[in-house]
Amino acid sequence: MKTVEEIKAAIEVAVPGAGVEIVSNPSVSGQHSLLIAHSHALQVAQFLRDDSELALDYLSNVTGVDYLDKEISEKVKVTRTVTKTVDGVEQQVEETVDETRKRVEPGYLETVYHLFSVAKKHGPVIIRMRTANRTDQVEMPSLTPIWRGAELQEREVFDLYGVVFTGHPDLRRLLMWDEFKDHPMRKDYVEPDDFEYEPTAHDQVLERAKQHAAAEKAAIQEGAEAR
Amino acid sequence: MAVDQQLKIELGKQGVFVTTIEELYNWGRKNSVWPMQFGLACCAIEMIATTMARYDLARFGAEVFRPSPRQADLMIISGTVTKKMAPQVVRLYNQMAEPRYVIAMGACAISGGPFKQGYNVLKGIDRYIPVDVHIPGCPPRPEALIQAFMTLQKKIDGQPLTGEERPRHLNPEAQGEFPVPEQGAHDLEPTSNPGVWPIPVVIR
Amino acid sequence: MASNPYFSLAVLFLAALGFGLAPLGMAWLWAKVFSPAKPNPIKNAIYECGLVSKGDAWVQFRSAYYLYAIIFLIFDVEAVFLLPFAVAFTGLGVAACVSMLIFVLMLIEGLAWAWAKGVLTWA
Repeated sequence: MKTVEEIKAAIEVAVPGAGVEIVSNPSVSGQHSLLIAHSHALQVAQFLRDDSELALDYLSNVTGVDYLDKEISEKVKVTRTVTKTVDGVEQQVEETVDETRKRVEPGYLETVYHLFSVAKKHGPVIIRMRTANRTDQVEMPSLTPIWRGAELQEREVFDLYGVVFTGHPDLRRLLMWDEFKDHPMRKDYVEPDDFEYEPTAHDQVLERAKQHAAAEKAAIQEGAEAR
Repeated sequence: MAVDQQLKIELGKQGVFVTTIEELYNWGRKNSVWPMQFGLACCAIEMIATTMARYDLARFGAEVFRPSPRQADLMIISGTVTKKMAPQVVRLYNQMAEPRYVIAMGACAISGGPFKQGYNVLKGIDRYIPVDVHIPGCPPRPEALIQAFMTLQKKIDGQPLTGEERPRHLNPEAQGEFPVPEQGAHDLEPTSNPGVWPIPVVIR
Repeated sequence: MASNPYFSLAVLFLAALGFGLAPLGMAWLWAKVFSPAKPNPIKNAIYECGLVSKGDAWVQFRSAYYLYAIIFLIFDVEAVFLLPFAVAFTGLGVAACVSMLIFVLMLIEGLAWAWAKGVLTWA
């Protein structure tokens, strides 16, 4: 099978301006993957499926990944002009100071598609797509028109991560009920406070149970004071 | 009029069989507990095994699994009750005819089990419906289910026909409706039925 | 009256009737005395595997379904006759074969007629 670099080159020949990047995997398995831009996702997917050499006719699974917003603090050397008094004379002096700057790198939701070829008996080729952020720009093109097998798995990713697949034929929740509002596999999912009865709690659960008990006690006291 | 137990045995030795309506009624009921045919998760496989030839639940008069709640006496909660499934389970229980009994089979049905902290698992079905017998295990062996059956039979046998202690289906005052929880935006609403499950106090 | 030849029959009839009615009566009496009826909207709702039923349980089937049933019968009967024919096939003469073919042709003619009339299109 072609290496990721070769596949990337082939894509760029077939779909001009596809905007494919390689996401390398430093681990032993070395399964590098291709990051696909939204704009040409369908063409790239079509190429991967229909190319006679690759013939990736089987989508094995679709995975959702949630990356939180990252706060990065870095030290930057800054040159400033400082007014200093040297030998009784005021002078403008250039000075280099270390400064810590913080910037927030927006998080994103990612889907990972594992592709195999049944005809050529090779794989996996891994492609990824990322949303712009985690809050309001969570759209991503659906690959269901190319691989029909993506339909239910994309619905699951939509249900649990909240990725909105544009072009999906039937985008509804799959596992949770329709009235449900949250996306439970997201890292900032707040589970309902149902720790009212935890007879064998330990660690995190014990912590939550104690918090619940304290909140309940406070509520009761408040009620008694109000009376 | 209560029959003296000693006298009954004595009469039995002479070939005279004496009984009461209560005894006859409970004897008939306990030997024809028909479960409802529905399984929720892996415990259902053990439940199926229990009904098959090797364990043969038919010995206890419970081989007829009814596919309709109208004809069933017993609901075996055999497996994980997800929050998506819980309203359906409670509705099915409501649709069963009295007298009705519930066996909560396995760790998931009694407390949520290994999935207790999951976002979609109900922490025990007894939050919404009254459970008669709990079986621990993950999953419980068929012998455990048979043990639960025998426990339930003992319970049915001990139910009086009249008086304060009589079961729910003989008491006109006892409530027969168990509200079905709604599927809300974050959780089931309400999260439990306080009439069935007053929150137990945990002493730490 | 007892000399009437039908008297014993009447007695047996009444006994048979009583045999059927007595359990029903006892069950009714038992329900009246001991177990109070406690109906509620959830309990009386249409059983739909635990879901809330949508629409009415009384639905009408299209009359075209009846035609399907009849066509199914054609093939059913055909199979009943074809099986013994196939079993005895090696020992049969030309006349038997021809008459069987005529029989099958008649059935096929019926199917072709139904097809032409548009019975097989469901809509």
